[in-house]
Amino acid sequence: MHARHRIASIAAVSVLAILAASAGAQRGAPAHSQADVTARIVAAAQGVLTALDDSRRAKVQFPFDSPQKTNWSNLPSPMFQRNGLRLADVTAAQRGAVMTLLSVALSRDGYRKVIDIMRGDEVLRTTQSSGGAGRGRGRGPGGTGGPAFGENEYYLAFLGTPSTTAPWRLQFGGHHLAINLTLAGSQATMAPSLPAAQPASYAFEGRTVRPLGSENDKAFALINALDAGQRGQAILNYRVADLVLGPGRDGRAIEPEGIRASALAAAQQQALLDLVREWAGIINDAFAEPRMAEIKTNLPNTYFAWSGPTTNGSAAYFRVQAPTLIVEYAPQQGSVDHIHTIYRDPTNDYGAKITAK
Amino acid sequence: MLLSAGRPSAHRVDEYLQAARLDIYPDRVEIVLDLTPGVAVAREVVQALDRDLNGAIADNEARAFAEDVLRAIAVDVDGVRVRVALVESMSPTIDTLLRGDGAVRIRAAAPIPPLAEGLHHLRFRNEYRGDAGVYLANALMPATDRVVVAAQHRNVDQRDLVVDYNLRGTPATRVRRGLPVGVACGLVLALQVWWRRRPRERA
Repeated sequence: MHARHRIASIAAVSVLAILAASAGAQRGAPAHSQADVTARIVAAAQGVLTALDDSRRAKVQFPFDSPQKTNWSNLPSPMFQRNGLRLADVTAAQRGAVMTLLSVALSRDGYRKVIDIMRGDEVLRTTQSSGGAGRGRGRGPGGTGGPAFGENEYYLAFLGTPSTTAPWRLQFGGHHLAINLTLAGSQATMAPSLPAAQPASYAFEGRTVRPLGSENDKAFALINALDAGQRGQAILNYRVADLVLGPGRDGRAIEPEGIRASALAAAQQQALLDLVREWAGIINDAFAEPRMAEIKTNLPNTYFAWSGPTTNGSAAYFRVQAPTLIVEYAPQQGSVDHIHTIYRDPTNDYGAKITAK
Repeated sequence: MLLSAGRPSAHRVDEYLQAARLDIYPDRVEIVLDLTPGVAVAREVVQALDRDLNGAIADNEARAFAEDVLRAIAVDVDGVRVRVALVESMSPTIDTLLRGDGAVRIRAAAPIPPLAEGLHHLRFRNEYRGDAGVYLANALMPATDRVVVAAQHRNVDQRDLVVDYNLRGTPATRVRRGLPVGVACGLVLALQVWWRRRPRERA
């Protein structure tokens, strides 16, 4: 491609990106239709593809039903071998196009959560680097030694061709993050996805950042809003050390346990919905709202289970489970500073329902 | 500027996570067991897997390891022990295990003898590596409507799980059971129709 042509392409991408970003920044203003948002996401994805050269474009594209679909993990690379376009390997303009795509595909809070998780991994990288031992230097795949942490160690992949009509997937992830967004025309799902955090609290530009702080605080508020009888139903009498339905455990749901939401008062039910929104609302609002409506419809058959202490600041596991929803929150090895969570829809993981022919 | 508020500890260290999922059918229980040794115990696990010490885990070594694990697992149905047989064992590479995040996956199954319809109790006990083990044990939502899980009871560390479940009849037996009631209802209905339509004597 000639240089002039490339500059024109990048300029076009930038204009598209700015338009898309401004659309993304206007959530709070009148809601866009799902079809509008799909079109914006597709435009932003095409913006990424246009910004890439041939070799990088080849890295980001996969067939719709390739094994890449389930190739995600909470683990850092290269412990877990990721495929796709690595942020460390792109130019600043290309990275800008990728981040613009995420800002359009996700809600404002969802995008912030992703950025906070990535920044947290940067904290891990700098802390581990200063700690020596040859770990966490962000070397990435092919490097020797320990895991590669940091903001550059995240990967983008498209499964299928970005389209406003045909199904395709946007996959973005790295250590402690897996976003699996399946789109099919005006419908979309972000199940399964894995937001996690380590450290769970860090300082950035003079403020404290807690990537999963709202999830933690809302859950503790809910468990403490239950009366003794309700807590007796919600609190499991055994320890839960990790996610039950984490990465690699697709396809089946476990038997629900805990207190049924039909046994909660209206305010408690609302608190449960607010808690679930922390995961269901990561996706763009246009898709989050119908998803929340579905979750609300299923509220009578929704269960809330808790394992561990009920004082905020303690390490406690919880799970919300409904016919179309599973959320788990699992502190690792008893640490409040290392959290794994998972978000699933047993009926629509990877868009099984919306892509069914 | 980025500053951490906590200690960065990357992954599982001295724990040996053992996550079991039980899939109950009328005639069998299928078990998936994921074993994830932390870095501090991974070398022992690798030694148990790589028996010929050639630096790779062969299929027969993975099977032999899995058989050892299954010897520490017991399944009872209504108090009667059933035999747990290995179906498949899959191991990651030694390097992955030594990094502390590889999981050995064992698939096993145990036949359940013919049972009457009604409430039954399946007990799963995992005594493997109790010195370092951290356990998860859960019943999956059954794939058949003939099995309905009523409750799960665990000890505090989840080494011991009892699943109370109801076994329902096959569609054929449900039809057969409903047949007398259906016939009786039909007869009552026919009698009513006949009674209303019978020829009445004129006054």
